[in-house]
This record gives sequence, structure tokens and C-alpha cells, in this order.
Amino acid sequence: MSNSRKTTRILNNMKSYASKPANVITVIFFIILLATVCFPLLSLVRDAFTVHFGEIRDVGKPLGSFTLYHWHTLLFDTLYDYSILTFWRPLLNSFSMAVISCIVAVGFGGAVAWFITRSDIPGKKFLSTIFVFPYIMPSWSIAMFWENFFKNTQIVACYNQMGMLESITGICVPEWVLYGFFPCAMCLGIHYAPFAYLLIGGILRNMDANLEEAATVLKASRFKILRRITLPIVTPALISTVLLVFSSSISSYTVPAFLNKNGSFSTISTTMRSLFNTAAMQGQGFVVAIVLLIFSVVILTLNNKMTGKRKSFTTISGKSGQVSLVKLGKARKPITAVIMIISVFFAIVPLVSFALESLLEVPGDYSTISLYYWLTTDTLEDRVFGSSQGILRNPTIWSALGRSLLVSFAVALISGTFGILIGYACARKRGSKLARWVSNMAFFPYLIPAMSFGAVYLSVSFLPAFSFLRSSVLLLIIVGGIKFLPFASRSGANAMMQVSGEIEEAAFVIGVPWWKRMARILFPIQKASFISGYLLPFISCMRELSLFVLLAAPGSIITVVLQDFEVNGLTQISNGINFLIIMIVLLVQFITNKLTGASIDKGIGG
Amino acid sequence: MPEIVLEHVTKCFGKFVAVDDLNLTIEDRDFITLLGPSGCGKTTTLRMIAGLETPTKGRITIGDTVVFDSEEGIDISPAKRDIGFLFQNYALWPHMTVYDNIAFGLENLKWPKDKIESRVREMLGMLRIEQFEKRYPSELSGGQQQRVAIARTLAPSPKVLFMDEPLSNLDAKLRLEMRSELKRLHVDTDSTFVYVTHDQMEAMALATKICLMNKGILQQYDPPLTVYDRPANLFVADFVGNPTMNFFPVKASRKDSRSFAFHMLGRDLVFTGEKDIAEEASDAVIGVRPEFITLGEGAFSGVVYTTLPSGMETTVRIRAGEDFVTAVIFGSVDFSHSLEMPFGIKGNSILLFDKASGKMLSMGTVSEA
Ligand SMILES: Nc1ncnc2c1ncn2[C@@H]1O[C@H](COP(=O)(O)OP(=O)(O)O)[C@@H](O)[C@H]1O
Ligand SMILES: [Mg+2]
Repeated sequence: MSNSRKTTRILNNMKSYASKPANVITVIFFIILLATVCFPLLSLVRDAFTVHFGEIRDVGKPLGSFTLYHWHTLLFDTLYDYSILTFWRPLLNSFSMAVISCIVAVGFGGAVAWFITRSDIPGKKFLSTIFVFPYIMPSWSIAMFWENFFKNTQIVACYNQMGMLESITGICVPEWVLYGFFPCAMCLGIHYAPFAYLLIGGILRNMDANLEEAATVLKASRFKILRRITLPIVTPALISTVLLVFSSSISSYTVPAFLNKNGSFSTISTTMRSLFNTAAMQGQGFVVAIVLLIFSVVILTLNNKMTGKRKSFTTISGKSGQVSLVKLGKARKPITAVIMIISVFFAIVPLVSFALESLLEVPGDYSTISLYYWLTTDTLEDRVFGSSQGILRNPTIWSALGRSLLVSFAVALISGTFGILIGYACARKRGSKLARWVSNMAFFPYLIPAMSFGAVYLSVSFLPAFSFLRSSVLLLIIVGGIKFLPFASRSGANAMMQVSGEIEEAAFVIGVPWWKRMARILFPIQKASFISGYLLPFISCMRELSLFVLLAAPGSIITVVLQDFEVNGLTQISNGINFLIIMIVLLVQFITNKLTGASIDKGIGG
Repeated sequence: MPEIVLEHVTKCFGKFVAVDDLNLTIEDRDFITLLGPSGCGKTTTLRMIAGLETPTKGRITIGDTVVFDSEEGIDISPAKRDIGFLFQNYALWPHMTVYDNIAFGLENLKWPKDKIESRVREMLGMLRIEQFEKRYPSELSGGQQQRVAIARTLAPSPKVLFMDEPLSNLDAKLRLEMRSELKRLHVDTDSTFVYVTHDQMEAMALATKICLMNKGILQQYDPPLTVYDRPANLFVADFVGNPTMNFFPVKASRKDSRSFAFHMLGRDLVFTGEKDIAEEASDAVIGVRPEFITLGEGAFSGVVYTTLPSGMETTVRIRAGEDFVTAVIFGSVDFSHSLEMPFGIKGNSILLFDKASGKMLSMGTVSEA
């Protein structure tokens, strides 16, 4: 009797739990994320401890058995300094590269954010539009531009081609400016500066201006306000920015891959790539992936620790929007000039340089401008996978571009929609443990370096049950959809938090079904934010290489094709493709912005 | 000493004029309230005086110093105006403890440590928040945060204190309590207070003088009772007072130098001003405060429409033909609906307005023709 009553009660409880869409969504995504984030991670860990096909001979154990060989070899093998050369030195390189790029990105991006939100610098709209260009471009664009700009006839590694600087001024920079540590760190810093700008600018914009005014009235100097009020308040965001930029830079693959033509500068991710490409060393590749992962986890933990609760606060101010802007006075002109020149230099000039480079039949010789590399039907290079005809006539490029668009579109659809749903569930079930788990898991892919994330799924595709995924477009879509989920879910959650529950409840009490409430009420209210949640994954995916480089078949997507042309010395074509990608991305972003008001800063800055 | 003078102060946001040609003199130790509906430019005015907003035109003087003059290009920073500012949302610094929040302003004045400490203790005691000294703002309730904000503002003893709707985020009970504390503080601190509110009861209760604004234009600047008894125009008459004044639009014809005849509530009546009325008023509005309507006897007849008892007094709405009349009577009564109710108009505080300009023409009495 009492037993059946108990069953009924449990059944009823479950029924009422399931009748709330937010609950159902939370549970479903808990399961999805468990499968797509946690399970692959476990598989990755397993792979770092087992024997793979190509390693049977070296390890001397049967396929699939447990081994510490990979760890031992990679970390402690002293023969010919193996572990120093393949692991410790690249790790140190990556680490110092990340530190420098962090300083550049946060210093420059943060300064621009401050000037735009807090000073009377002119041309704010123009500046904030072009300043984010380097972030919209593929991450190697700046690297490629750097090479186009600085390469010169004195350096062998760039095939003694003449670059922009030399052809304009005759100056030949030394090799360390063109390849290796310095350019890698700088290019990453410049690439992530807009990201820092968006994050810090978002906080500054949302920060209650009264907090600074209160200090002004109490006779604090401008500098003191910055030091004692503004900085401490943006510190949590600053720390997050630093950590995110750090974790992105340390694992960056594309930039060091482009700016290491002389082979002097190996990083942890380029090492990982070559380990994976060697059949007998895949296990070690997985070890590197795990090391990078550990970095990320440490960073996430640090982030959570340092942005602790006690001093927490909401930045949304509501009432006062008007900040009294700092008058730059005499410094106004020079500061404006410096910021403008740097921004334009890294936003507009690269575009010009890509277009130009693709038109030069002889690199560096501006008298040889022609459409040859766009239109020729000659086979330009045998080593390139697929066809190597001119860009516009090349079937491999066209089909890869089509596939890239398809993948990006699917990825945007998946992560954007998932992001909104997760944002909804988390906003409605704020404080519930499960919801917190879901939102943490949804953010976790951000912290996993792109290539490790690729490695994770690579290891999944090696499982017999999932072999159908290997090198397939479906795999790319899944990987992209999950990897780009974090920003979509964050902007979804932000948008949902801003819509009070009562607005939805007003529709709920008159019996409007859930999907209709979403489609007719919540979505229209926060349209711009939600569409930004679709836009950002699309853009990121369109220009992504590191994530896919381990997974994609040769010639399958446009960025892989680009890299293939680049490493085989056909820089005209790789520049042309890069130009195409950037144009497509800019066009999509521009049209979306005009039609819906969505923009990437809404997606990141919140 | 710090008399505040505003001359022709104007503030435009683009084309929109938020404050229009404002002239105002605030005497030393006044408690001024800036009153008006939301969006009428109160906050903007306050922020301009404090120096947080730059006026488009005009001149502002605090004491002997010109702090702003658009023509001479003077614009002194808020830090040098010797003022205190209490923000509507308190603007407590989230990363500082209560103690640090209060001490910050004193540090900027380069006070020695021990003096800062004793002053902060004094403020903590005065506002009864000693026990929260080590807490962060996010760990305090709204009322406690508000006290901290007041303590922070008062600590450097500013000569002039600006407050922007400081009580609007508090619940009703706490608001009443804080209201009387603010009035007390005004007496104790010897400073000039300029206080923004959209709540006319608050303005009446606190102010020595009310500055009533609408759409950026100053409507009236007088002591509370003058504003209540002799509103300058229809807007002021309507905005101040709860329940609101009864307005009866009438066609009036002049009878003699100080009286007009008109037809109202079904009767022929005469308005007699307290002195001669120079203006003509063929289209006029008669304004009667609810407390000047007598119930139970009088020349007019109507039926009870609603009765709203609130304990100490009762608001009765009466329907007289097309018109509705609001009356207030002392004590708690509950008339039944549709009860026949004769009523009258008493006293010599009835108001005559010009309908077109809204201007108040005269105060006087209404009697039967
Ligand atoms: N920074 C601004 N930009 C444009 N319009 C503003 C700005 N600040 C205030 N306003 C406008 O000026 C008017 C007066 O605002 P405010 O002084 O804040 O009103 P309130 O009396 O409610 O305090 C409002 O209509 C408001 O929309
Ligand atoms: Mg206001």
C-alpha cells in the first residue's frame, strides 16, 4: 500500500519535473555534453596510455595494451636530447610566446577599450569597427601579412622573395623579425587584441559610471580612479581575458606553423601535429594533448578562484548611461594618430596585401601584376593535393569552399541553437546544480586547445564503433558544433538573463505553449544577441584550421587547401584563398549586421 | 556662504532639450527638492550643478566661485566644487569593504590615518552601521547599503550635498524612516541639500523650497505650502496633492473687476478673487482641492461613485451628472454605492486658471450667483 503510494509520488514528481521545459532541456544537454565533451576526454586519456598500431614494435606490447611508454619517452628520454627537443623546449617556447602575446593583446586591446569607452577620442565608431578585423580574419592572416610585409631578398627561408617593406623602403629586416619567436608572439598578440578589446570594452561599457563619478566627487584624481576603482572592478574580466588569451595562444598552431619556415622555433602544437603524423608516435601526440589540457584545467580553476564570489557584483547598471569622458587635451591628436595608424595597419593593409600578393606573378615584383594565379588552367605544382589550377578555375578549391560553407553553416546552426537552449535552461534554473554542470561543461570546450580538441575526436574516430566518422564531414560538424558552443551559450545565457522571467510567465499563464513562447516572445526580444550567437560560430568555423587540421581529409575544406598551397610555396594562391575567406566572412558579418543588428561584439562582449 | 546660482542653464542632448533656460538661486542651508515627473530633467540639472554633466549654455556659481560659464569657457571639475553626491543606486564600490568605502574620500583629502579612522567610526556610529564595517556591499541589504552611501558622502563634510532619488529603492517603511533621518541630518550637518525626487509627498515633507520642473522647464520655485496652496499653473496644481485637485473647465464672463460668472455642476456660480484680476478668462478652469468639498450638505447634488477609506481619512468620489468630484473627509466611513449625496464648495482657497496658458489667475471664493 505505502509502497505503491511511494511509486505514485515518485511518478508524479517526475511528471511535474518533466513538464517544465527548462528541466527537460537541462537533462538532455547534460547527456549530450557528457557524450560529446566528457566521453571524448576519457577516450583521449585512454589513448595516452595504450599501444597503437604503429607503435607495436617500439613498445613491444600487443595492440591496445596498457603502457607508460609514451609518457616515459616523451618526458624523460635523454637519448639525443629527444625529450628536450620534442617536448620541453617546445613547451617553453609556447609558454613564453603565450606570455608575450598576452601582454600585447591585453595591453593594446585594453588600452583601446579604455580610450573608446572613457575618453573623448574621435572616430570611435570607425575605430571600433576596424579594430575587430584582425579577430574576424583567420588567425594566420596576420602571420601571412607579417610575412608578406617583412620578407626580403636577404632571407633564404622565404625563397628570397621581396616583401612590401623592402620594395617600398629597401629595408631588409633580419631573420628573427620575420620568423621565429618574436613574430609569432606579436602576431598572436595582434590577433587577440580585438578579443581583449571586446571583453574589456564590454565590461567598461556595462560598468556603472556612477562608481567612477562617486570617486570623482570625493576628489580622487583621474589616475587614482583608474588604479583604485576602475581596474579593481574590471580585474575579474581582465583576469579572464588574460587566461583565455593565454590558453588560446599557448596552443596556437597556425601562427607558428606559418612563421616557422626556417625551422628555428618549434612549439608544443607544431610538435603535436608532427607526432600525430608519424605512425609510431601517435601515443606521444596524445600525451602532448593531455599536457595542454592540464594547462587549460589549471587555467579554468585559477579563473574560478581569482574571480571569487565575495566581492562580486552585477555590472548591469540600468539607470545612468552617461559617463563623463576624459578629455585627452593636448595628447588627443598623437594618441588618436597612433591608435588609428596601428589599427588601420593591421586591419586594412593585410587585405590589400593578400589581394596584391595573389596578383603578383613574381613575388615582390610589382610590375608583374596579372590575374594569372586566379585564372590559369596550367597545373602549377604536383605536390599539392587535388588540382592546382588557378583559384577561380580550380575544382578542388571550389568544392572545398562549398564544403567549408556547409560545415560552418551546420556548425552555426547547431551551436547557436544549443547555445540559446542552454542559455535558457541555465537562466531559468539559476542555482540548480545540474544547470551549473551543464553551463560549465558547455564552456569547457573553449578551454581545450583547438588542436587537442581535434585530437580528442581523432581518438574517438579510431574506436571501431565510430570508424565511420573518420575524415568525414559529419565529424567536422560535430567537432565544430561543440567547440564553438561556449560563446553561443554564453551570449544565450546573457540574453536570457536580461529578459525577466515574468515576461515569459505572462505568456505562460494564458496558456501559450513553450515553443511559441520561445519563438514569439523571447527570441524577438533578444534577436540581436541570439543571432550573434549564430554569427560567431559561423565566422570562427569558416576560418578555423587548428581544430580541423588533424581530422579533415586533404582537400576537404578551404583552410586545409590553403595550408597545402602555402607549405608548397604557392603563396599567390594561398594569399588569394585567404582573401576570399576574409571577404566571405566580412560580407556575412556585414549583411547579418545590417539585417538583424547582430554583431560579434554582442556575442563576446555581452 | 555657498549660495548656488544657476543662470540661463540649458542642456541639449543632440536636438532634444533636456533642461531649458533654468534660473535658480539656492540659499545657504536650504533643503531644496527638485520635483517633477520622470524624464523632466531633474537628474540632468543635479548633475550639471555637481559638474558631472556639462551644460550646453549658461552659468553656474557656487558661493563666490563661478564653476561653469559657457561664454567664458569655465568648467571646474566636480572634485574642486566641494560637494557631496549621493547616487540613486548608491554606487558603492563592490571591491571595497564598508570601512574602505567611507575612508576613500578622506584619503583623497590626505587626512592622517588616525583622523580618518576616528571620522569613519563617527560616521559608522551616526548611521548605526558599526557592525558591518568589514563587510562588502554585496553582503548588505538595500537599506544598509544606503546608509553606507550616506556615510561615504557625508564623511568629508561637504558644504553642499546632492542626492538623486536616494530613497526610491527602499521599501515604504524604511523610506519613511530614512526620510526623517535625512531631515535630521540636514539640521545636524549645517549643509545645503539639493534633493531629487519624483515623489511629491517626499518633496513636501523634506524641502524648505520645492523646484518643480516639467519637460525641462521650471514651473514653480517656492516653499512647499505655497506650491500646494498657490500653484503657479495647472501642471503644478495637478502634480502636487494627493488625491489630486478637482478641475472644472468653464465658460466665464466678467462680472466686475474681481469676479467672474459661469455655469458649473448644473448651477450658476460666481468666482470672487481676493484682489482685482487683470487678465480676461473666457475659457477658464476652476480648481478645487478635495478638502474644500463638503459632503452631506450644499448646493450641488450627486451620487456616491466609490469610497476609498484609508484609515485616517476617506476619499470619496461623487458623480454629478457628467462630472466626477473627489472629496476627502476625516475618519473612516464607507458610503454605499449610488447613495444620494449633496455636496458643497467651501473656503477662500479656490483657484481660477486660464485654460489656454494654464496660468493661475487668482485665489478666491465660489458662491451662488
Ligand atoms: N545622455 C543622454 N543622452 C540623451 N538623452 C538623455 C541623456 N540623459 C538624459 N537624457 C534625456 O533627458 C531627459 C531628462 O533626463 P533626466 O534628467 O535623467 O530625467 P529625470 O527627471 O527623470 O531625472 C530625459 O528625457 C532623458 O531621456
Ligand atoms: Mg533621474
